[in-house]
Amino acid sequence: MKILINVIIIISLAYCLTGCSSKKNSHNEILYWCSNNVDEINFAKEIAKEWNQGNPGRPVKYQPVPEGRSSEEIILAAVVGKTTPDIYSNMWQGDVEAYAQAGVLVALDTLKGFLDFIYERCDSAVIDEIRSGDGHIYQIPWKINPIMLIYNIKSINDMGLSGPPKTYSEFFDASKKFQKDINGDGYIDRWFGYSEVLVTWWQRFFDFYPLYLAASDGAHLVKDNKAVFNNEYAVEVFRFLQTLYKKNYFAREELTARQDVFLASVIATRFTGPWEIAHAEKFKPKGFEYDYTTMPVPDGHKGPVYTYGDPKNIVIFKSCKDPQAAWNYIKTMITEEGDLKLLEITNQLPRRKNLNRNPVFSNYFTNNPKMKIFAEESKYVKGTDASPVLKEVFDLISQEYEACVIYGEKTPEEAVKDAADAVNLLFIK
Amino acid sequence: MINRKKILPYLLVSPYILHFLLFVSFPVAFSIILTFHKWNIISPMEYSGISNYIQLFNDKTFFKSIGNTLIFLVIHIPLQITIALFLAEILNQKIKLRGVFRGAFFLPVIVSGVVVTILWQQLYGFDTGLLNRIFTGIGLDKIGWLIDPKIAMPSIALMATWKNVGLYIVLFLVGLQTVPPQFYEAADLEGASHLQKFFKITLPMINPTIFMVVILSTIGGFSLFIEPYIMTGGGPLNSTVSAVLYIYKQGFFYYHMGYAATLGLFFALIILAVVVIQKKFIETEN
Repeated sequence: MKILINVIIIISLAYCLTGCSSKKNSHNEILYWCSNNVDEINFAKEIAKEWNQGNPGRPVKYQPVPEGRSSEEIILAAVVGKTTPDIYSNMWQGDVEAYAQAGVLVALDTLKGFLDFIYERCDSAVIDEIRSGDGHIYQIPWKINPIMLIYNIKSINDMGLSGPPKTYSEFFDASKKFQKDINGDGYIDRWFGYSEVLVTWWQRFFDFYPLYLAASDGAHLVKDNKAVFNNEYAVEVFRFLQTLYKKNYFAREELTARQDVFLASVIATRFTGPWEIAHAEKFKPKGFEYDYTTMPVPDGHKGPVYTYGDPKNIVIFKSCKDPQAAWNYIKTMITEEGDLKLLEITNQLPRRKNLNRNPVFSNYFTNNPKMKIFAEESKYVKGTDASPVLKEVFDLISQEYEACVIYGEKTPEEAVKDAADAVNLLFIK
Repeated sequence: MINRKKILPYLLVSPYILHFLLFVSFPVAFSIILTFHKWNIISPMEYSGISNYIQLFNDKTFFKSIGNTLIFLVIHIPLQITIALFLAEILNQKIKLRGVFRGAFFLPVIVSGVVVTILWQQLYGFDTGLLNRIFTGIGLDKIGWLIDPKIAMPSIALMATWKNVGLYIVLFLVGLQTVPPQFYEAADLEGASHLQKFFKITLPMINPTIFMVVILSTIGGFSLFIEPYIMTGGGPLNSTVSAVLYIYKQGFFYYHMGYAATLGLFFALIILAVVVIQKKFIETEN
């Protein structure tokens, strides 16, 4: 009898455990995971509410992506555990190719009305950028946060400069003037800029990669399973950054553990995105003024200045029972009205053409002039190349970046060549 | 009719057997199978023969990570044993506030490793860290505790010693209290000095404790992960990438599960070899 009771308890426990991981949404419901950022939850709530009012037969249940160390890990765990939502709206563009190759994403170009809608919303260059190696499209370009140079207006004016530095030479001149040993201990403690020195792969989104895109007019890092960044632009960028560290214009140590060094005027510039605006407005000292400009470019560079846009896109997982209905819902998220809501609620830019000229958004940009700078730059934003090993590519570049830029152990030419050789080995395997 | 007396022992050990099969045997067997495959979790496993083993023997970063781990051990174990034994010897005497000191030295052991690491990261800061402020205050040069590739691993070893020494003080205290006092009394009658008593009586008598401390520190040292993961991310220039951190990176960053399993297996064999050698060496000394 006792054995029987034990068996029943074990079976019940097993049932509970497996039940916890299974989807609880009803057959008609579309499960949508948004980012767990408060503003994006509010945006999802509003869009889902509107949809549900007009589509009671096919309701959308929005839910922030479950808490974890990173949303990327949560999505991976969901893919492995086969508990993916129908829609996920915070997918880093660089992750999509690996999931597409694993066959867990819906090819959106096979859905009715998708191509017409997406060509209406985005430039063809953007659509080429998101197209997978197999020719299909697995992601909907949704939002971007372009990386630009934030600068302290007073610091620039105090140095007698007419404006923020635009070229490498101007950047060096300004750095030399600004750099100082304030407490007189023989060590520089005021630097012109700061970028994370950690070798973590994604830190290169805030220094090497946008500078490379700026110098090269948006060139690829990898193409057709080959490294294509062993070129003069990457070498120039490495040399530029190496000089900044060699001459102590940038701090070598981590400055993140102290009071915001930009707002405290310990540094005068930083490569960052529009998210800095809300932070600066909240914490800036009285009288502190700042603005944004494009990434510095090599001397003599002509034409627009490209940058990295940190794109986050929307995908539909193959676990979705009705991808067409899911796409119909996504369409309501990314109409002009939906994009205006995204701007107003989250202060993040939708990735759509003519953003800066579209009258639908003009009121928002009049009220948020700093965001207007990013909207202007959005024409020259690049995402990432389609490759299933993109993280490794950035990691290998980051290793060489550390050796060359931070520690001067290699010349820029050697470092870029070694990184490209190592990346090419990835594709041979 | 089932004989209840025969079944009962099996029933009693069954939870452990089940646990062993599920959480020890199966993972070990699965990871050995994995070493012959390429698997990125989201795609099906692909048989790859011995390619992971070939890759391992050509992987300079992995051998550098083993070298880093050995550097850590070479600094950490002697430092830890010396300090722990020295402090245990003092705390074994009848000194004032002995209980307070014993508690104070043990405190870092129960503090979360992450908290300790973040605290020491602040202390080690080049520009704003307390240590460098003291150094410059007395006219010395600043030290790049975590940004100089030659100093970063010793800095981590120093921090790990501070964190763990309390545990080994307790172990040594237990060992010291098992030494019969008659031995010291006899030595006193013979006119032995403090040092002579320490080397001729204390050390040989606490040899089993030393062996245990060496084994525990070695295994603990080989599993070095949190400190470099949080403090340096393995940098600068891979000088603090420990073997476990590298295996983690291969497994959970690159999702090279087959290769990570191969590295793990190889590393487990290294640990086994080191522990066997240590055991032989210390037993011979004994």
